[in-house]
Amino acid sequence: MLRSPTTWLLVGQRLTIAFITLLIVSFAVFFATELLPGDVAQILLGQAATPEAVAGLREAMGLDRPAFLRFLSWLGGLATGDMGRSYVNDIEIAELVSGRLVNSLRLAGIVTAICVPVSLTLGIAAAMWRGSWFDRGVSIMTISFISVPEFMVATLAVLIFAVWLDWLPALSYGVNVDSLGAMLRAYAMPVITLSFVVCAQMIRMTRAAVIETINTPYVEMALLKGASRSRMVLVHALPNALGPIANAVALSLSYLVGGVIIVETIFNYPGVAKLMVDAVSTRDLPLIQSCAMIFCVSYLTLITLADMIAILSNPRLRQ
Amino acid sequence: MTMTKQRTRSLRLPTPANLGYRFNWAGRIGLTVILFWAVIAVIGRWVAPYPVGEIVDFDYFGPVSGDYWMGTDYLGRDIFSRILMGARYTVGIALGAVTLACAGGIVLGMIAAVIGGLFDTCLSRFLDALNGIPSLLFGIVVVAAVGTSITVLILTLAVIYLPGSYRFARALAVNVNTMDFVTVARARGEKTSYLITREIFPNIVGPVFADLGLRFVFIVLVLSGLSFLGLGVQPPNADWGALVRENIEGLSLGAPAVVFPCLAIASLTISVNLFIDNLPTKIRDRSD
Amino acid sequence: MTHKTPTNWTDRDDAMVEQAIRRGASRRELLKMLMGSGVALGAGSSLLLRAGQAVAQTPKTGGDLRAAGWSASTADTLDPAKASLSTDYTRCCAFYNRLTFLDEAGEVQMELADTVESSDAKTWQITLKPDVTFHDGKTLTSADVVYSLRRHLDESVGSQVNSIAKQMTEITAVDDRTVKIVLTEANADLPTILSLHHFMIVADGTTDFSTANGTGAFVCETFEPGVRSLGVRNENYFKAEGPYVDTFEYFAITDNNARVNAVLSGDIHLAAAINPRSMRMLEGQPGVVTSVTNSGNYTNLNIRLDMDPGQKAGFIEGMKYLMNREAVQQSILRGLAEIGNDQPVSSSNRYHNPNLPAKEFDPERARALFEQAGVLGQSVPIVTSSAANSAIDMAVVVQQAGQQIGMPFEVQRVPADGYWSNYWLKSPIHFGNINPRPTPDILFSLLYQSDAPWNESRYQSEKFDRMLVEARGSLDEEKRTQIYWEMQEMVANDAGTIIPAFLSGVDAHADSLKGLRPNPLGGQMGYAFAEYVWLES
Repeated sequence: MLRSPTTWLLVGQRLTIAFITLLIVSFAVFFATELLPGDVAQILLGQAATPEAVAGLREAMGLDRPAFLRFLSWLGGLATGDMGRSYVNDIEIAELVSGRLVNSLRLAGIVTAICVPVSLTLGIAAAMWRGSWFDRGVSIMTISFISVPEFMVATLAVLIFAVWLDWLPALSYGVNVDSLGAMLRAYAMPVITLSFVVCAQMIRMTRAAVIETINTPYVEMALLKGASRSRMVLVHALPNALGPIANAVALSLSYLVGGVIIVETIFNYPGVAKLMVDAVSTRDLPLIQSCAMIFCVSYLTLITLADMIAILSNPRLRQ
Repeated sequence: MTMTKQRTRSLRLPTPANLGYRFNWAGRIGLTVILFWAVIAVIGRWVAPYPVGEIVDFDYFGPVSGDYWMGTDYLGRDIFSRILMGARYTVGIALGAVTLACAGGIVLGMIAAVIGGLFDTCLSRFLDALNGIPSLLFGIVVVAAVGTSITVLILTLAVIYLPGSYRFARALAVNVNTMDFVTVARARGEKTSYLITREIFPNIVGPVFADLGLRFVFIVLVLSGLSFLGLGVQPPNADWGALVRENIEGLSLGAPAVVFPCLAIASLTISVNLFIDNLPTKIRDRSD
Repeated sequence: MTHKTPTNWTDRDDAMVEQAIRRGASRRELLKMLMGSGVALGAGSSLLLRAGQAVAQTPKTGGDLRAAGWSASTADTLDPAKASLSTDYTRCCAFYNRLTFLDEAGEVQMELADTVESSDAKTWQITLKPDVTFHDGKTLTSADVVYSLRRHLDESVGSQVNSIAKQMTEITAVDDRTVKIVLTEANADLPTILSLHHFMIVADGTTDFSTANGTGAFVCETFEPGVRSLGVRNENYFKAEGPYVDTFEYFAITDNNARVNAVLSGDIHLAAAINPRSMRMLEGQPGVVTSVTNSGNYTNLNIRLDMDPGQKAGFIEGMKYLMNREAVQQSILRGLAEIGNDQPVSSSNRYHNPNLPAKEFDPERARALFEQAGVLGQSVPIVTSSAANSAIDMAVVVQQAGQQIGMPFEVQRVPADGYWSNYWLKSPIHFGNINPRPTPDILFSLLYQSDAPWNESRYQSEKFDRMLVEARGSLDEEKRTQIYWEMQEMVANDAGTIIPAFLSGVDAHADSLKGLRPNPLGGQMGYAFAEYVWLES
C-alpha cells in the first residue's frame, strides 16, 4: 500500500498543506507580535528608554524600516535557508538556535523512547483487564501523577535526589557530561519529570481508545466467535484504535519541544522553550518567528505522522 | 464491566440513579467529592474563618494548629481560608474552560468527520495553525489587546485547548464514520445532526470524556502559570495552583501551606477522572 | 578592657584598615593613619589585630568557580553600555575594569585611573595607570578611555546611562595617559559616576561584543547569551592581587528554589539574590553560608501628583500613613530590609539624613485624610506586577489595611512582560523598583528633578531643582550634606513616592568560598566578586 500512487499523492497533498499552514502561522505570529506593546529598542533600554535614546537605537538597529517589510525580507531569507540575525544580540539565529534545538530534541527523543512503549503497553493492558485492580491501580496512579504541578515534581525531585541523597546533580546543563554515566545522571531528573506527565496522558488515552473499540459490534462478534481476550484486543480492537491513539500520542509529544519551559527553568537546561520566552519578552521578531516555525514544524510532523498512521491502520479510510 | 455489575444499588438523588442507570462506588465517590467542592465554591466566602488576604500570623509557613487548620502561607495568611476561597476560581474557571473547549472541539470534530471534504480540510488546517501559535505569545497578545478578566481567561483557555480536543475527537469520529451502521444510516438519508448525535457520539463518548478529564487537569494546573502573564486570578485571591506556586519555598520545610493546596488539586482532579471512568453505565452501553 | 574599640568606629573603618593592610601598609604606617583620625594607640593596636585576623585568611590560588545569578535572556550582553541585568554587571566586572570603583566602605578607589582630579569640579583630569594591557595584548591608552566614554553619548549605541553621560560635553585625550573631561556644570561626584558598571573601559574602536576584550581579571573564553559564560584567569592582570581562581563560570538560574538547591547540592559555589524566605532552609545547613548586603534597592508605590486621586490634597499623605512598613519589612521581606521613609537615599549612603523618621502605620489618620480628600469608600485601583520585586505582596498589604478603614483598593496585577514601558510612570497608582545608585545626585536627577526622565510621581519644585544644582557643584562636604538632608526631607514629605523599605540582598554561598564581603553597589560584592574570592578545598 505504501507504493500505491494514491498514498504518494496523499503525502504530497499533506506536504503542500503543511507548507501553507506554516505560512499562515508565520503571518499570524507576525501580526501577534505587532500587537504587543513596545518594541526591541524600548525593551532593551528598559527604564532608560527616553524618546531620543529609543529613536537612536531603533535607527541603529534598522528598525525604522516598516515592520511588515522587515518581516517579508525575513521570510524571503528563510526561503533561501537564512533565518536572519537576532535583533537583540546580532548573532545569527541559526547559531543561536542550533545548539538549543539539539538539546530540546535530545530530551524529547529520550522521553519519547521511554514513554511511548511504556504507555502503550500499560494502556493496552489496562484496557484488556478493564475494571481489574491492575486497571484501577494504573488509573489512579496516572491521574495522581498528572495532578501534581510539574514545577512541584521537579523541585521535589531536585530536593530529594540532589540535595538530600546527593545522587544526582541539581543542574542538567553545565555539569561535565564526559561519560555515559555522567550523562545518564544529568538527564535522569528532567526525563523522569517529563515522563510522568507524558506517560500519564498517553496511558489514559490509549486505554480509553482501546476500550471504546472493544465495545464495537465487530469486536464483540469476534469475542462471541470464541477469540481469546488478548487476541481480541491485539488483533481486532487495537488496529482500529490506532488512529486515535496516534493522535493522542502526537498531541502529547508535541508538548515536549516547545512546552517544557518549567523543566528547562528548574534544571537549567537550555532548550528552545526558554529561547522562545526570551524572544517574546524582548520582541525579537526574527527569533520569535524562527522558534514559532520550529514548534510548528515539529507539531505538523507529529500530527501528519499520526494522520498517516490513522489512514494506514484503517483500510476504509485509505480509499 | 465486571466491576460495574457488582453494585447496582442506586443513589437516592434525582440523578441518573433513579432513572435506572447503574453507577458504581468509585463513580459515586468521585461525584461526591466534586459536589463537595462545588458547594465549597459557592459558600466558601462565608465559611472561611479569616479574610483571604489578611496576614494573621507574623511567622510564615506555620504548622497545622487549632487557629490555622492548614497552617499559614509565606506571608502568614491562613491557608485553610485561602483554599476555601480558591475553590471558586479553580472549579469555576476549569469547569467553564474545559466545557467550552471540549464541547466546541468534539462537536466540530464530529461535524468535520461526517461532512468531510473541503470543510474538513479547511477546519483541520485552521485549527492546526491555531495550535501552531505558541500559547505564550497568544496569552500575552490577549492581555495586551483585550485586558484581563475571568471571562477573558476562560475564553483564552478554551481557545488554547480546543484544537487538541478537536483533533482527538475527529480522529475517533473518522473511524466510526466508516462503520457499516453509519453508512446504512447515511443511506437512509439521515441528516448530519442525526448522524452526529445518534450514531457517532455514543460510539466515541468514552475516549472523548477521558480526554475531557485530562484537559480538566491541565487547565487546573495551567491557571497558575497564566497568572504571570497577568491573566490569572487577581490578588488577594488565588487559585489552588497559584497557592502551590507561591508557597513552593515551603516545600523543603515540609510546610502544610504547599501540601494542602496540592491535596485539594489532587482530590478534585482525581475525582473528576474517577467519575468519568465510572460514568453511570447506561450512557456507556450503546448496545442495549 | 582598656583596648576597647572606639565608639564611633564602624564597619566602614574596619574595611578601610583591612584594605590598607592588603595594600601592604606597614604596622607603623597604619598606626599613624589611625592616630591621625583620633584613635588612641591601644585601641589602634586591637583594631589592627582584628583587621589582621581578617586578612590572615590568606587567599588560595586555583579552582574553578561556578556561580549563578537570577536573570538571563538572549539579551545578555558583554557591551558594558548596554548592560542592564545583574548578570551583565557580573560578567562585565570579570572581563573589564572601570576607571574608579567603590570599595566596601562606599569610598571611591582608583582602578584603571591613577588620579581623577579637578579644581572646580567642572574640568577634570584623569591620568591612567601605566602598563595595563587588554586581553589581546594592546596597551591601555587615553584613546580607549575617550572611545569608551564617548560611546554613551551616541544614541545608536543604546547606552543605559546616556542621560548621565550627557553632562560630559568634552572628552578628549591630552596625551597617551591623560584624559580631560569637561562637564556642562560642576559636578563633584564625577569620580563616583565613573564607578558605575556601565563606564567599563573597552578597547578603542570595539564594535563587536560577541566576546569581551577588556583589561579585566578574566579572559572571556565562552559567551552564549542566555546560557552561560566562561572566563579563564588573566595572567597579565595589572593588579598585584587576584584573581585567585583559575576559571570563572557564570550563568543564571531564574527559579529561586532551583538556585538555592543548586548551592545546597554543591553544584555551584554561589547563588545570588535568594529569596529571604529561603533563609530558614539554609539555617543550620552545613557548608552553606549567606552574605547580606544593604544596598539601597527599593520597591516603591508611586502616586502621580498630576492625576486623580493623587492630586486631591491629603490622599498621598493618607497613603503614607496607610503603608504598614513593619508588615512589609517583617512579613514580606522577612526582616531582610530596612524600613524606608519615602526618600531614596538609604542609610548605606554617607549623605543619608538620619533625622527623618518613617511615618508610622496609622489607619485612623489615613482614614481622616481620605475623608478630607473626598475619596473614602471609592474603589481605587493599584497597578502591580511581579516585574517589581515583592510589589504584589505590598499591594495586598495596602489593600488589607484599606479594608479595615472602609477604603477598598482594587489590586490589578498586570504582566511583567512590558511592565516598564506600559505601566510604570504611566498609571495613576503603580509600583516601581529602583536599583541602588551611589550618589544622591544621581537619584535625585533621575527621579525627582522637575524634568527628570523617571519622575515617578511628577514631583515639581523649583527650589528642589536649584538645590540639586547647587549641591552638585559644591566641593564643600559640609554644605553638600546639609543640602542633601533638606532635599531628602522635601521628597519624603511632598513627593508621591512611598518607599516602605530598602531591600537587602542575600547571596548564599558554599563556605569554601572565601573573601566575599558586602558592597554598597549591590550583591555579589557589587557584582565584582569573581576577582576577589578564592576557594578553600
